[in-house]
Amino acid sequence: MRPENYQSVNHPPSNEFELFFGPNHPGIEGNYALKVRVNGDEVTSARADGGYLHRGFEKLMEGRLWIQNIALVPRICVPDPVPMEVCYSLAIEELGGIEVPERAQWIRVMQLELSRIAAHLFTFGGHAATTGMYTPMFWGIADRDLILDLFEELSGGRVYHIFNIPGGVRRDLPPGYLDRVSKTLDYIESRLPDYDNLLFTNKVFVHRATGVGVLNQEQALEWAVTGPNLRATGLDFDVRRDDPYLVYDQIEFDVPVEQAGDAWARALVRRSELKESLRILRQVVAKLPSVGGPIRAPIPNPLAWNLPAGDVYTRVESSKGELAYYVVSNGGDKPYRVHVRGPSAMHAVQVLENLVTGARIEDVAQIMFSLDACPPEVDR
Amino acid sequence: MSTLKNIPVVSHEKPSGGTGNLLANVFDELMAFCRSRSLFMLHYCTGCGAIELPPAMTSRFDMERLGIQPMVTPRQADILLVTGYVSTKTLKRIILTYEQMNSPKYVIGICSCTVNGGMYWQSYATAKKLNDYLPVDMYIAGCMPRPEAVIHGLRELMENIKKGESDNWRDYYRRYDHYLGNQQRLFGENWQTPTDIIGEARHYDLMGPETLGPHTALLEQHQTPLKPFEMTLGLADLPVRKDEPR
Repeated sequence: MRPENYQSVNHPPSNEFELFFGPNHPGIEGNYALKVRVNGDEVTSARADGGYLHRGFEKLMEGRLWIQNIALVPRICVPDPVPMEVCYSLAIEELGGIEVPERAQWIRVMQLELSRIAAHLFTFGGHAATTGMYTPMFWGIADRDLILDLFEELSGGRVYHIFNIPGGVRRDLPPGYLDRVSKTLDYIESRLPDYDNLLFTNKVFVHRATGVGVLNQEQALEWAVTGPNLRATGLDFDVRRDDPYLVYDQIEFDVPVEQAGDAWARALVRRSELKESLRILRQVVAKLPSVGGPIRAPIPNPLAWNLPAGDVYTRVESSKGELAYYVVSNGGDKPYRVHVRGPSAMHAVQVLENLVTGARIEDVAQIMFSLDACPPEVDR
Repeated sequence: MSTLKNIPVVSHEKPSGGTGNLLANVFDELMAFCRSRSLFMLHYCTGCGAIELPPAMTSRFDMERLGIQPMVTPRQADILLVTGYVSTKTLKRIILTYEQMNSPKYVIGICSCTVNGGMYWQSYATAKKLNDYLPVDMYIAGCMPRPEAVIHGLRELMENIKKGESDNWRDYYRRYDHYLGNQQRLFGENWQTPTDIIGEARHYDLMGPETLGPHTALLEQHQTPLKPFEMTLGLADLPVRKDEPR
């Protein structure tokens, strides 16, 4: 009684053996798998085995109305859903020629940065847990919950908000919301030294992460690496600054860059980015009360909304890397074609396979978490 | 196959049945109580609902105070949490995992997608109703359910285990033909798993009227017979140290 994938295979005699790393494995990020060939402790070859989370998003979106897809897109990347909504909304607004009110843009930036902080805190926890330190994981998840509370107050949902719609945002901020945001920011900022003490200057973590999964700049560009992983190789590129969308051109922030390109550098870039996100949020909180006006541009009846024919490509910087949507309309009420350019599909397949090869078996999980790939987005 | 006969009926066999000796009944109740208080949950994140499990397990909501802990291997786990949509590829792994778990075992379907397909009702890649393929003990609806809802569902399951009402794992043996039929319809008629469910049902006296049927006949027709596994090491070809005596 063996299914075809359980047939015993006659390998040529060697010292290697094949290890199934996932999908049911605590060291793997989500429902994803790696088939690793190991010689002793050393990985000789690796093969990414995705598809466990495939739902056929791009096909599903062709069968739904423009507005219905807003509820569908955040499911593509579960830990960081806001950039999905915003990027898709930006695409539709560009296609339909809708001007988003300024207040809605500032609220969107606030959500994007809150989501980035939440995703980075989650990643710190996961990365620390793969090196055997479980306290940062508990801390990160607990601190992330404070941000989820803010989201819940704003939109009613902890994880999926569906708050950004084409034309703006669903509703205005509740009274006293900005005070609570700044209180949470104060708290997270006061926690940063604790994280430094516990994780980023911890000898165990530094020794485990330094020199692991080294990616140089040429390889990174060749393998379509984006986001914090690219900035960890020394390339100074951030979509928020170099191709600004929303109101990022009115906000002051730095783009943290590290040179080493290993797991340690990637963790440091994320840590600095968290601080920059706090800085951006402070500016947003200071600016938002003075920005009045509507929160939503009028859109036609969304149930019978035919967007003009054409195609559009919009991109935003999500916490995982560069996220882009290519949307084609043929003048109908549904998209003709939607392509999602997710960052994790590159990070978790070709980059992970190449970085894992030659590494030691205990570093496989760490490399995967340091690349911060998001399996639902890989498979889509 | 959409007859009334195929709707799963949960058979409630209370341990305090009244027959038999009193001590055995008391012992059964004690066992059920202890079992409900130490549940190991398989660490397998199948879908997006898994993102609400870390908050539920760690310091804020702290599932561990209820005696529930994640466990990495299926053989030591009691609960299979199916967190969200299951694609066809994942469903194969879930069935393999479920069959490896030791009885008594419980399946919890989290998120709307396990109930009726949720928002992927028209997707070509996902299985819509989990109940067609595995006996589900508890559904926790929502997209996605909050950690409180997850904990509430687990508490209900604990109560059911204590009362002896959660025994859907017997259903998998008693109505194996039904489940296997649905699995074969999805995966093709030569679908088979390494676990011998019929043999287990015979061994533990769990044969029901629908354990055997047309689908198990098809299984027996297609399955390759189990052979004793012989480990052959090609020692002669292995690179060994030269000073090592052969």
